[in-house]
Amino acid sequence: MNESATRMLLTGNHAVAWGARLARPKFMACYPITPQTPILEKLTDFQMAGELDAEILTPESEHSAMAACISASLTGVRVFTATSCQGLLLMHEMLHYASGARAPIVMCNVNRTVASPWAFWPDQTDSVSQRDTGWIQLYSESSQESLDTVIQAFRIAERVVNPVLINQDAFYISHALEPVEVPARETVDRYLPPFQPEHVLDPERGESLGNVVSPEMFCQHRKDIGRAMQLAIAAAQESDGEWQRLVGRGYGIIEPYRCEDAELVIATMGSMCGTVRHTVDEMRARGRAVGLLKVRLFRPFPVDALRDALAGIPDVLVLDRNFSPGAGGVLHQELKAALYGMADAPRIHGYLAGVGGVNVPPGKIEEFVDQVQHSEPAIHSVWTG
Amino acid sequence: MSKQAPAIWTTETTEVVKTGSWRVALPAYVNPPAPCHIACPVDGNIAVWIRHIENQSYHDAWLTLIDNNPFPAITGRICHRPCESPCNRGQLDEPVAIRGLERFVGDMALDEGWSFPDAPVAKAETVAIVGGGPAGLAAAFHLRRLGYAVTLFDAQPELGGLLRYGIPRYRLPRIILDAEIRRVLELGVDVRTDTRISTRSDFENLRSEFAAVYIATGASVPKQLPQLDYSQPWVIESASYLEQSNAGVHPRSGARIVVIGGGSAAMDVARTAKRLGKEVTVLSLEAEPLMPAQRDEVLEAKDEGIKLIDGAMLQSVADRPQRGLELSCIKVDFEAGAVSGDFQVTPIADTDFIISADTIVPAIGQDPELSGLQDLLELEGALVRIDEQQQTSRGGFFAGGDLVTLQRFVTVAFGFGKQAATEIDRFLRSGTPARDLPARPQVSIDVINTDYHPREVRAAQQLVPAAERQASFDEVELGLPAGEALLESQRCFSCGNCTFCDNCFYYCPDMAINRETHGYSVNDDYCKGCGLCVRECPTGSIIMRAETR
Amino acid sequence: MELLEIEDRHLFYSGHAACPGCVEALAMRHILNTLGPDTVAVVPPSCTAIICGAQPCNSLKIPVYQTTLESSAAAASGVRRALDAQGKHDTTVIVMAGDGGTYDIGFQALSSAVERNEDMIYFCFDNEGYMNTGAQKSSATPLYVATGSTPAGKRSKKKNLTEIMAAHEIPYVATATPAHLADLVQKVEKAKSIPGARVITVLIPCLPGWGLPDDAGINAARLAVDTGMFPLYEVEDGQRYTLNQSKKSRPVKDYLMMQKRYRHLTAEELDEIQATVDRSWARLVEKSAHA
Repeated sequence: MNESATRMLLTGNHAVAWGARLARPKFMACYPITPQTPILEKLTDFQMAGELDAEILTPESEHSAMAACISASLTGVRVFTATSCQGLLLMHEMLHYASGARAPIVMCNVNRTVASPWAFWPDQTDSVSQRDTGWIQLYSESSQESLDTVIQAFRIAERVVNPVLINQDAFYISHALEPVEVPARETVDRYLPPFQPEHVLDPERGESLGNVVSPEMFCQHRKDIGRAMQLAIAAAQESDGEWQRLVGRGYGIIEPYRCEDAELVIATMGSMCGTVRHTVDEMRARGRAVGLLKVRLFRPFPVDALRDALAGIPDVLVLDRNFSPGAGGVLHQELKAALYGMADAPRIHGYLAGVGGVNVPPGKIEEFVDQVQHSEPAIHSVWTG
Repeated sequence: MSKQAPAIWTTETTEVVKTGSWRVALPAYVNPPAPCHIACPVDGNIAVWIRHIENQSYHDAWLTLIDNNPFPAITGRICHRPCESPCNRGQLDEPVAIRGLERFVGDMALDEGWSFPDAPVAKAETVAIVGGGPAGLAAAFHLRRLGYAVTLFDAQPELGGLLRYGIPRYRLPRIILDAEIRRVLELGVDVRTDTRISTRSDFENLRSEFAAVYIATGASVPKQLPQLDYSQPWVIESASYLEQSNAGVHPRSGARIVVIGGGSAAMDVARTAKRLGKEVTVLSLEAEPLMPAQRDEVLEAKDEGIKLIDGAMLQSVADRPQRGLELSCIKVDFEAGAVSGDFQVTPIADTDFIISADTIVPAIGQDPELSGLQDLLELEGALVRIDEQQQTSRGGFFAGGDLVTLQRFVTVAFGFGKQAATEIDRFLRSGTPARDLPARPQVSIDVINTDYHPREVRAAQQLVPAAERQASFDEVELGLPAGEALLESQRCFSCGNCTFCDNCFYYCPDMAINRETHGYSVNDDYCKGCGLCVRECPTGSIIMRAETR
Repeated sequence: MELLEIEDRHLFYSGHAACPGCVEALAMRHILNTLGPDTVAVVPPSCTAIICGAQPCNSLKIPVYQTTLESSAAAASGVRRALDAQGKHDTTVIVMAGDGGTYDIGFQALSSAVERNEDMIYFCFDNEGYMNTGAQKSSATPLYVATGSTPAGKRSKKKNLTEIMAAHEIPYVATATPAHLADLVQKVEKAKSIPGARVITVLIPCLPGWGLPDDAGINAARLAVDTGMFPLYEVEDGQRYTLNQSKKSRPVKDYLMMQKRYRHLTAEELDEIQATVDRSWARLVEKSAHA
């Protein structure tokens, strides 16, 4: 099935670098920031060894890095970049710009706590707070998944003409070693057609981009982006399905794990899914009917899939490793909104677990389950730890 | 739902936006007259021929010149230069040496042997010209060019009038004069010198023989000072003095000569007498700055050792035996009147003085000989009356030059002759007079962008040193060398005459000036009326006009 | 008078929205026509962006990418690298930015791009203020100038972008104005022939911003140069200085007093400006003498 795939021990960062390399981008503009730096360094290593034929630009800030990525993408080449927390936030203006300009950039973000105060721990506030910027967002649970998702992301991005953000937690994923199957170049070449955008900055074509628009044009453009987002759900499913066919690994846009006849389902994103998966297995072994709902595609928020998956489940416990002051956990809010008005909707409990990188072991998760099961959910997200 | 332009990716151009709707004024590419052109008595297209010099197209310069004035080597020496005082260049540094440049071209034409384009007789009518002086000669040239056969009458043995018999050789060499006149005659003019047409019947006969008659007999009757006894041997009238000396005859006079008068004739007499070895004093009514003679003439006269007593008049003369004449004079205040020729003189008390002399040459001006004409034509004072078309009171009789005006300048006379040809032609064609063209505002210094005209010193007039002029009748003023003429031509602003520098074309931010074959046009679809083209024009050939919609 | 001869390749269209008499539009016209059609331009929010036009129209024939205000040099780097990745090394990449997007908010990206010696020509249209937003001060605004945000007169000096760029030792830095078209064209042609980072600052008198009549833009630029307030010069590789004018021939007063933004100047301030210009000029003469 995987003609000459290679098995390596890779951290999440290196797995991302391998995924990017295989996708054959022609331009990358990166600014180093802990804990993303190994991605940039691995890519420059590949380039120096002649294994990666791409222009690598190292500008003076992330804002400039994203600015260069957008213009390079619009000039007609496949673009990849990576960043984390402060860097992602510094790019904020340009994230909006990228989606508005319909630049199909793929970026990996390593989820790290956002200053102030300064810290380096896993926390997803950085990326979830960018959920309005128009980027498609996916959250990875493992190094393998990160590699696979980077490759899938290019297919999704270029199909719907929209940028894609892949997120992996600091250190738990980015720096932890795992055995990873690295697909063969030919496999990826078969999976990703060459990048041939419909519009490009080219003196022979003479098209320009960025002239000021009327209110009607702007409104129409937002509708167009909305449509692309809607199509992204099917595109993400198709990309995942096709990848599964080629290499035998697929992840879905959400993954319900042992949710059949579950009494309580734990919903979460990123590395926490791994811990919850383990907890679910342990609790099931002791006869507790619990399941995991892994949310992989966060933007567009997969409302229909979630309603299908959670229909009839009595309790859902959301674990948010993020915090939006004045509103609570973001996945908590989004899920409540997604399920609102559903007949036989579950009781939704929201826990703020792991904010700031605080460790959440399986035992703790079991405690959370006991605390909320069968009880009325608190309206607001509940702090733990 | 109507189709809308895409929000991103731009493929159309802004040319659909007609920004011309923004403006309130539109530039116009025109040819407003230069002040020199307006001042020139022959309507000379001065900026155009100077530009030809600048381009070293000297033959083209000459062709442009002779279109209005067939005698550039003459006017290039003696014209009173009404063009130079209003010259806009003068407001930056010094006026362009226009006369010097004209002489440069005129002399080159003589050196190169250029001749006028052929002027075949194309019309049935023949025109008679009475008077072979400046006005008559000019009329002959222009009428020939219009295709008329011309017969030119002059009482003297040779043509030229005052040019030959009045103006001295050191101002106008005879070789030049002869060559310029000969060139006109080569067009084919029937010349009848030694033929006086003076009585009424002479004129009537001419009228019956010719389709039209142009009378340009000049002003040859000397005005007389009442305080002088003209019967005395020690009074020689200025015209007589000059006629004799110009014919190579030394007029008989004493050693000390007093010339009375402040005009060109007085200077001519004084400087001629000096060359004949006399001690010369000029007594001028007008103060020196107001003397009607050209300033250069006065300065050159003084350089030559002529004594000038200005602002003074002769009261009486006493003839003292063995001592000669004693001229009793007095200082005066001289005030020119509103009308040319009118003036007021007020003696200043207690300023009497005596001048000793042997001979007095009064040079106070002349009047036309009207005895034959006064029965034929209506007069106006001491002149023949004409209308704006130079027509006299009798149909078919035209008159010009000193006969009809107190503006006694050679170039003015040339201008009369030129205009006469046009009017006679119009008279013979349709009889209706021309409509007056509306006056066009002349180019002022304000519309010349002097940033494009770096300061340069005016070419100096080279003179033969005064010491060398003592006994010589050779030319005093020298012509411009070619290199200096070229540099001087570059000083001309070319007011109102576009030099195709393309400034307007290149400086338009909206590409609203188009280059055409013979100039420029304004694209009124896009012109926003900013005026950059007008401001950056070095010649004032584009002007702003307010637009009303 | 030396006659101009500039090829007009119709790369700039009429119908654009520049103010009547705007000499920035004039500079764009001649810069584009000199560079030729194989060019891509990056433009931030600025008067240039407005001149480019509103969707779906463009006043430039070449492709123009409008980026955010801080990021012109970064975006141009992206275009440059993407073209190079496609083997299009002959296509010229330029930036046309205002002084705001160059001296201030765009400065960081510019310094970084030229430190990397990115292969592009960066044109700064310096109208000495944030004119597009209504004439507020920038760090390119000279000392004592009245602006929307410094109504009593700016208390700090104009930043010297040319010297800063020269200190980066990039292949080519120059100043130019739209009044000196032959010089501007020659500098654009020269810049085009040199690989690496090239920065040309073009002084643009702004009619509403400086308080000038519609037809005075060229005259003001000429005076800026003649008075020495904006000398025309080039610096190659940060070392070789070439002064493109042999003298400064007029007192600064001639230039300053024609602009409303300087009308409030006191005699002491005027003297101070003259003294500063005299000193700067002497330094420049010395630097170019050693070239």
